[in-house]
Amino acid sequence: MSSLGMVLNIATTALAAQQYGMDVTAHNIANVNTEGYSRQSPTLEPKQALLYQGMLLGRGVETEQVTRSVDQFVENKLMQEKSSMLSSQEMEKYMQVMEGIFSENSGTSISSMLSDYWNLWNDISNNPSGSSERTALYEHSVLMSNQFKSLGSDLTQIQIDITNAVTVGVERINQITSEIAQINVKIIGMEANSVANDLRDKRNVLVSELNEYLDIKAFEQSNHSLTIISVSGCTLVQGDGNYELEMGGSNGDRVRWQNSAGNYVDITNYITNGKLGGLLDIRDKIISKYKLDLDEMAKEFIWSVNQQHSQGVGLEGFSAGTGTCDVLNSGEELGTLESGLDYYEKISDGNFNLWVYDSNGAVVGESAKVIPIDADTTLSSLIIDINAVDNISASITTDGKLMIDADSGYTFAFSDDTSNVLAALGVNTFFSGSTAGDISVNSGIVADKNHIAAARIDAATGEFAVGDNDNALAMTDLQYTSMDISQWTCDRINGNTKGSVTTTIEDYYHSMVGSIGIVSSSISRDTEFNEMMVNELNTLRNSISAVSLDEEMTNLIKYQHAYQAAAKLITVSDEMLNTLISAI
Amino acid sequence: MRVANKTIYDTVTYNLGSCIQEMNKANEIVSSGKRINNLSDDPVGLTQALEIKSAISNLEQMQRNISRGNTWLASSESALTHVQDIISETKTLCIQMANATIDSTQRLSTAGTVQNLFDEIVSLANTNIAGSYIFSGSKTDTTPFSEDGTYKGNSNAFTVKIGKDTTVEVGSDGGALFEDILRTMDGLKTSLTDNYLEGIQDAMSDLDGHFDDISAKISDVGSKMNRMDVKEKIFEDIIFANTERRSKIEDADMAGAIMELKAREFAYQAALSSSAKLMALTLMDYME
Repeated sequence: MSSLGMVLNIATTALAAQQYGMDVTAHNIANVNTEGYSRQSPTLEPKQALLYQGMLLGRGVETEQVTRSVDQFVENKLMQEKSSMLSSQEMEKYMQVMEGIFSENSGTSISSMLSDYWNLWNDISNNPSGSSERTALYEHSVLMSNQFKSLGSDLTQIQIDITNAVTVGVERINQITSEIAQINVKIIGMEANSVANDLRDKRNVLVSELNEYLDIKAFEQSNHSLTIISVSGCTLVQGDGNYELEMGGSNGDRVRWQNSAGNYVDITNYITNGKLGGLLDIRDKIISKYKLDLDEMAKEFIWSVNQQHSQGVGLEGFSAGTGTCDVLNSGEELGTLESGLDYYEKISDGNFNLWVYDSNGAVVGESAKVIPIDADTTLSSLIIDINAVDNISASITTDGKLMIDADSGYTFAFSDDTSNVLAALGVNTFFSGSTAGDISVNSGIVADKNHIAAARIDAATGEFAVGDNDNALAMTDLQYTSMDISQWTCDRINGNTKGSVTTTIEDYYHSMVGSIGIVSSSISRDTEFNEMMVNELNTLRNSISAVSLDEEMTNLIKYQHAYQAAAKLITVSDEMLNTLISAI
Repeated sequence: MRVANKTIYDTVTYNLGSCIQEMNKANEIVSSGKRINNLSDDPVGLTQALEIKSAISNLEQMQRNISRGNTWLASSESALTHVQDIISETKTLCIQMANATIDSTQRLSTAGTVQNLFDEIVSLANTNIAGSYIFSGSKTDTTPFSEDGTYKGNSNAFTVKIGKDTTVEVGSDGGALFEDILRTMDGLKTSLTDNYLEGIQDAMSDLDGHFDDISAKISDVGSKMNRMDVKEKIFEDIIFANTERRSKIEDADMAGAIMELKAREFAYQAALSSSAKLMALTLMDYME
């Protein structure tokens, strides 16, 4: 049945369709700057035709659906690349801090301080009896110890900062997963009839933000809800529920996932992508390596200086002296881990000479007391041996250190220690401590710079002279001496392993600084590459999904014209109806 | 390809960002004058520069050690030359006093002269540089000779380090050097006082021996000084070469760096102006 009424009907569907189109256009324009928004377009279809007098007559237009322009492959690829980019960006940020800490632009870098340290020993060898040379070495050593400590504590501080950043990240992850679960509920409800474009966009934005934090995989279920699984198969979102992550472990620095049974699973080492991946990589792989290496270097530096120092003698003997190293159990063999000595491994079978001098400086008993050290020596047995020497008494302090006292008017000194036991106990040493964090100048030297051992005792006569520089010269040789220094490789999955390089202390530090530079520049290159990839993919994504205002303007005109034409249809059919009516 | 508004904005942001980053880098090089401003700029070069820096620092210390040693050697040389003069002078006196025409009074008065010369040798043997006695072995704070010529130092020589594995003895065991001379001088004095002609003649031949010993020692000191001078010159050359190498590694090629900065600046300006033009374009300007 064709009629004017039908024209009016068709015109009405046209008006509605064009208006719908304008709505979508307006929505697109409004969201031109919305992150993650995909432009929408109405799909118009002719209405089902009707058979009329043997002919199929169209009945106008209807809007079938509004579709989003999305290429899921590009979206996924972009998400992955973004995740890598954010990971390396986080790493780059902290590597810049590392570079600042190890900067060589200042005079207070460890490398120039080490050079100066050896130079000051040279100065002492040039004037062993001079007090200004001794004071200069002492002051410099205090500065250098502080520099070691501040390097160590700076590295620890970055690790703490990173853990805080991870904690903030974990909080955000929990928010996101909970929001995604809520949106899942809404989408399940709404998509029974049509596609919830904007909710999907919103969910995509959240998934992509989640992906910025850690590695995830997202699957759409048949009810259109999204299931999100992260590393080690831990489920973050399923249907309307989310599983939270939390910070835990003994230091509160591990990322853990709680499963449905309420058990915690430590997933820290498996997070490799996103901000958390970058943060954890830099904390547990890079900074931890350099922190360990710095400690190894400090350990070997302290040892080599102390070992040489303990062979020498200062301008005068000791009237009393206390070791710097604690022995945990005085009954345990000194050369074993159980003794609790930091340098227990360095102790070997041998002996050392203990010289005792009377008030005139003459050697008591005219010869050295040879104290033997073997595998069975414990701190207690050593004390018995030392106590057997006339005019000398030895004891253990409450914190497990060896203390030696001379009777009033007597002094004592050491020479020719082939067992290393003196240096291991911290007796007659230059530094105390065994890591970058606890290196200090031995308090005995702090109290009296005359105990800086530039000289060596004549093994035959027990005499020593103020102008003797034998031990100072031996000390200056240490700067050229290659030694075995441990070097760490940190791996988050396989654990940390210790290797060893044979090099001088200074070269070890130089290559450490160089390696920080290499790591940093390769991370910067990665970042640059990832940023470029993300930019390319973003351009591709935008070309598919982003709003072009020019297009929307054109569409606006397109719909406007169509709307005007449909309105004209109504006017024309109205006039025709009027003509008909007036004819009656 | 379809170009959305976001594409334009993102591209502009990204490109201007990389332009300004490059320009900043170029500016950092020009304003610091250094190629390596951060560890990551050239880690390999940096490691080399650090090694060179520590080598230079060590060589400069060796130069200071050499200079310290040279002071000792120069003082030794001067003291020894004086002692040698005194030995010649004493020998001349011996020749005169050995003459049969000389009587006991004259010999007795010459004994006084010999005592003065003896004292002079003791004083030269007690030469002290900045608080250290150079002929006292390693007991550098002990006056090596008492008035009567007894040696109180030890037999170790004071050494300085003038390079890896190289030390040079710059102090001396004064006992070995001067004890015999002083003994001869003392004997001569006694012989003169006692008018004992044979003793004077014995002293004369002993003095010849001492003269030769001191000569040998002077030439030993001289050759050490030469060695130190040569070392110092070599160190100077190495320091110079190393400084140059370090500069090549660390310092920026200024002309190149400025050209780079100019080029970056130009690129940035071009990007700014084209971006501004591109962003200003919109269809809306042409719709009424």
